[in-house]
Amino acid sequence: MSVGFLLIHARPQRAWATILSWFLFAGGIAAYLWVAQARHRENPEDRVTPTIAQMATGMYNAVMQPAEEDEAAPPAAGFYDRLSHSMLWKDTRATSRRFLLSLALLFPAVLLGLHMGLFPYVGAFFLRFVLFFDKIVALSLLPILFIAFGIDELSKVMLIVIGVTPTIILDSFNLTRGVPPEQIVKAFTLGAGDFDVAYRVVLKQVAPRVLNSIRLNLKAVMLFLFAGEMIASTDGLAYRIALVRRHMGMDVIIPYVLWVALLLFLVDLGMRTINRRLHPWFHEA
Amino acid sequence: MLIHIEDVFVAYGSPPRAVLAGINLEIQEGEFVCVLGQTGCGKSTLLRLILGSEHPMRGRILVDGREHRQPDRTRGYVPQKYSLFPDKTVLDNITFGCEVSEFGLFGHLTPTFYRRRRQLRAEAFEYLHRIGLRECDAKKYPDQLSGGMQQRVAIAQALMTKPRILLMDEAFSALDPGTRRGMQQLVRDLWKATGTTILFVTHNTDEALRLGTRVIVLARESADQGSRIAMDLSVPAPCGDAEIPSLVRRLEVVSESCAL
Repeated sequence: MSVGFLLIHARPQRAWATILSWFLFAGGIAAYLWVAQARHRENPEDRVTPTIAQMATGMYNAVMQPAEEDEAAPPAAGFYDRLSHSMLWKDTRATSRRFLLSLALLFPAVLLGLHMGLFPYVGAFFLRFVLFFDKIVALSLLPILFIAFGIDELSKVMLIVIGVTPTIILDSFNLTRGVPPEQIVKAFTLGAGDFDVAYRVVLKQVAPRVLNSIRLNLKAVMLFLFAGEMIASTDGLAYRIALVRRHMGMDVIIPYVLWVALLLFLVDLGMRTINRRLHPWFHEA
Repeated sequence: MLIHIEDVFVAYGSPPRAVLAGINLEIQEGEFVCVLGQTGCGKSTLLRLILGSEHPMRGRILVDGREHRQPDRTRGYVPQKYSLFPDKTVLDNITFGCEVSEFGLFGHLTPTFYRRRRQLRAEAFEYLHRIGLRECDAKKYPDQLSGGMQQRVAIAQALMTKPRILLMDEAFSALDPGTRRGMQQLVRDLWKATGTTILFVTHNTDEALRLGTRVIVLARESADQGSRIAMDLSVPAPCGDAEIPSLVRRLEVVSESCAL
């Protein structure tokens, strides 16, 4: 009895499944190395596809040397001193600060969605406006934001808030509306007041789903953050990528792109772990 | 008189279609009333009216001499589904009512809260034994329990706050027949022990006769008229197995002949 190995009823062994899941990574790296080698044979000065060694040097400099615009580190500086004044650390810190600030600003959005879903008057007041706001292409507002708020931090954070909050508000609104009415009636018959129902019954029930929805929107947060940083900023990961692009510094750009991906992956993993710890009753559908 | 319903009329939809028309009902303290009727005859509507989550278009409903605009602690509620809070353990579900009505949003910041919670948990364990759950079930979340167990906990949760009336909406309809029989026995025993007035909505005639001291049949006289009380049967002693088949037939004739 054999089942075709590409068909629905195929049951690959664990080892095979693992090997297959890494196959595209290996293939991608191999293809890159092959192309890089070929290009460097033709033109040793090629800047488009740096070799692994070049990228390692570029990254080492990013981790150990201060940015071009900063003063050079004194030669006697220790390892941690160099690390904390390095280009990568400076950029990562700047981007993370904006990122965390934006995440913190999503919290009121969740509460607004909750209230809109539970209290009919709040819903009537906000819903139409948020639906309209959600349809505005946030990036098209960028020039307006720069004119109105200047090109400092506020406009970048505002871009993220305007781009992502409507989605989060509407998501938490819909999740709140999805709570069975029986639950709310039951809570009232047990003696709960309106705000007990909102925060101790409904918010606790939708919290894991809201966190998942924020996780899905992390990419949007990063997208708007990078757009803002690339256009108007003096530090940050995206600023560096845009800056280094001018002299085709692919040896820095590629490691930076991978670093950003790794950071985002870690944030997502952290949120998933926190979600599972905080809500052991919740099973993802 | 605990519940007094006076000439109540309810219609849904546009154009409005009558669901209940001219309902008059009086329920005494300590009665066990089963409301029986076919799907769509308005028995759940009647329950929601007493609950206060819906309001009649005409007529009035007095519970304990007062009209209620929204559900509150005097009327406990056990729905068919979603009766427990999924994010709370069995024990927290049972104590939730007392905790929430005695302490505000930030009540758990005070030391008295923890003292009171110990008392409430002890009381909850008593209920847990009474409904036939084990100690180790207390820490479980609702979705780790079977449907029957969940409804048992829901009944304990509702009784914990000692409501004047317990309203049960098809509470056992999602359970299999074996579990159902056990649940009926449990409710009957709890009713005897606590003396709570119970209003039990069901579409199962057999269940209504086994549970109630009084069975009310809701039925429409014609398709465009709202339901009225077609029969009000008093069942002073619980029916024996021998009488049930004939009574079931009698009640079903009433409920079906009207639904034409």
